[in-house]
Amino acid sequence: MTPAAGGLRALFLAPAWLTMAGLFLLPIAVVLAYSFLTRGAYGGQDLPWTVESYIRMWDPLYLGILARSFLLAGAVTVLCVPLAFPLALFIARSGRHKLLWLNLVMLPFFTSLLVRTYAWMFLLRDTGLVNTLLLKLGVVAAPLPLLYNDGAVIVGLVYSYLPFMVLPIYATLERIDLALLEAAADLGERPWGVTRRVLLPLARPGILAGAVLVFIPSLGSYLTPDLLGGGKSILVGNVIQNQFTTARDWPFGAALAIGLMLLVLLLLRWWEARGGGELG
Amino acid sequence: MKRRTFFLGLAGLAGCTRQQKPRLNVYIWSEYIAPSTLETFAREFGVHLHHSIYESNEELLAKVFSGNSGWDVVFPSHYFLKPMRQQGLLAPLDAGRLPVLGNLAAELQHPAWDQSLDWGLPYMMGAAGVVHQQSVDAQAQSWDLLWREDMRGKVTMLDDPADTIGAALLKLGMPLNSTHPQALQAAKEALVAQKRLLRAYLNSEARQQLVAGELHASHLWTTTSLLAMDDSDALAYYYPREGFARYADCAVVLKESTRKHLAHEFLNFLLRPEIAAANAEESFTTTANEAARTLLPQELRDSAALYPDAATLARGQWFEAIPPDAQRLRDRIWTEVKAR
Repeated sequence: MTPAAGGLRALFLAPAWLTMAGLFLLPIAVVLAYSFLTRGAYGGQDLPWTVESYIRMWDPLYLGILARSFLLAGAVTVLCVPLAFPLALFIARSGRHKLLWLNLVMLPFFTSLLVRTYAWMFLLRDTGLVNTLLLKLGVVAAPLPLLYNDGAVIVGLVYSYLPFMVLPIYATLERIDLALLEAAADLGERPWGVTRRVLLPLARPGILAGAVLVFIPSLGSYLTPDLLGGGKSILVGNVIQNQFTTARDWPFGAALAIGLMLLVLLLLRWWEARGGGELG
Repeated sequence: MKRRTFFLGLAGLAGCTRQQKPRLNVYIWSEYIAPSTLETFAREFGVHLHHSIYESNEELLAKVFSGNSGWDVVFPSHYFLKPMRQQGLLAPLDAGRLPVLGNLAAELQHPAWDQSLDWGLPYMMGAAGVVHQQSVDAQAQSWDLLWREDMRGKVTMLDDPADTIGAALLKLGMPLNSTHPQALQAAKEALVAQKRLLRAYLNSEARQQLVAGELHASHLWTTTSLLAMDDSDALAYYYPREGFARYADCAVVLKESTRKHLAHEFLNFLLRPEIAAANAEESFTTTANEAARTLLPQELRDSAALYPDAATLARGQWFEAIPPDAQRLRDRIWTEVKAR
């Protein structure tokens, strides 16, 4: 590369670097700094510097909440795969309507998550659409308790993050050479065998990328557990949120946020090292 | 809370453009002021009045904490005056510019949290009690209703640590603002025992479910309860005999305001009886303005929920700012209850 080309390269990269530094690294640096400060009497933060917040984090209460958050996010991720895979396959094979289906998958993002979560509340309430229908059809005698439990939270999270699973799987399926599937069939493999032994292994990178994209936002979610869980269960996202609002303990909230971020980064490294994939 | 009002707020933001007229920025709870109040003030004083809304004291504090939020007048609850003052966020009120302070209810002329009204002008009062289906127990008068086994799956508590830990403390005969570790421990045990009976911890969302009959009883704010009762005759509301929580939202002038004179004009305007009455009617809330009460429609004026008698008020306890260490303990207890 000539010096002039290097200068040009730096020039064109500058906006990206500035955006990263200003909108990503700087806020994280502020959070990191807050996490080592003492909380102010009524919110905010004060000197002196301390690691107290990081010590408090090891309380079994918070570790238990973290474990529960991992389980819930894991359940959401696992449920997303069988829902997303057939849909992604269908879209990848849908020829000229591909764009339409892809747009439909992304359509929910045009509305705020808050509004969509409220819609789920109207569906799942005692007098909501689902229960009214079941009662009218005589399937149940009394409304089912569909809202305000972990099941509702999982349904809400699966609904929210399903597109993040569909899109990467679709991207890998689209690139698969159909001749490979035909060859497998010609060699005597039944359709189920073709799917299990050829299609799924080929789609693996997409599934793994989707798993990461679904798991991480589920782990940090706080709106859905609050609204669909009726405030009865608490996830790590809610604990962090409370520190910045009612508990007025910003440094502890910041420390929890940093701790969660480090944990997720470590997990990602481990995932990659295990051959989990072409995530970079 | 009512998030649809958020969109009204956005519309308000979009509507404000560069103008020559002096402006005043007012940040207030949702559905807490009559549109006519804002229009009349803007017209009478020839100002551009920009207003937006919030849903919690925490949200308000987060916005104004920086000291350059751009707001002139905001409406924190009375127990937020002390922390806001200590953070240097408030400008002292100039009583000389508020000549009709005498319009306020007697108990708000010299309140415990602000003896000579140096920092906040009481605007509306609120409280939290129990709203329930009369068919369940027409005689209910105690917090115990919300702990009854036969109410399983049909009760909600407020999703707010101060209110709900406070309710448990009151049920146990202890002070609302207790900072005592043993008292708080007992409150935690009561809340853990109650949790298996609860449908959820809900704030404003409880309203529709009460009207629909899905809920039998809820720990709820007076205004939200009255709105539910407006839609359903089956509901009744009471202030538990063991005691209940009270708060007063106050108009304050922020220290950062560069329009303190105009801000005082606005506060004084809010003290006018006919204006205060319009605001109380709009918001279904208890006005802090005694002179306005006589101007209210009879159903509001004579409401025992909005204007309880002296014997009931004697059971009320005002929220207080909780000191940091007790606040930390309360948060841990709240997290523990939620994690069960």
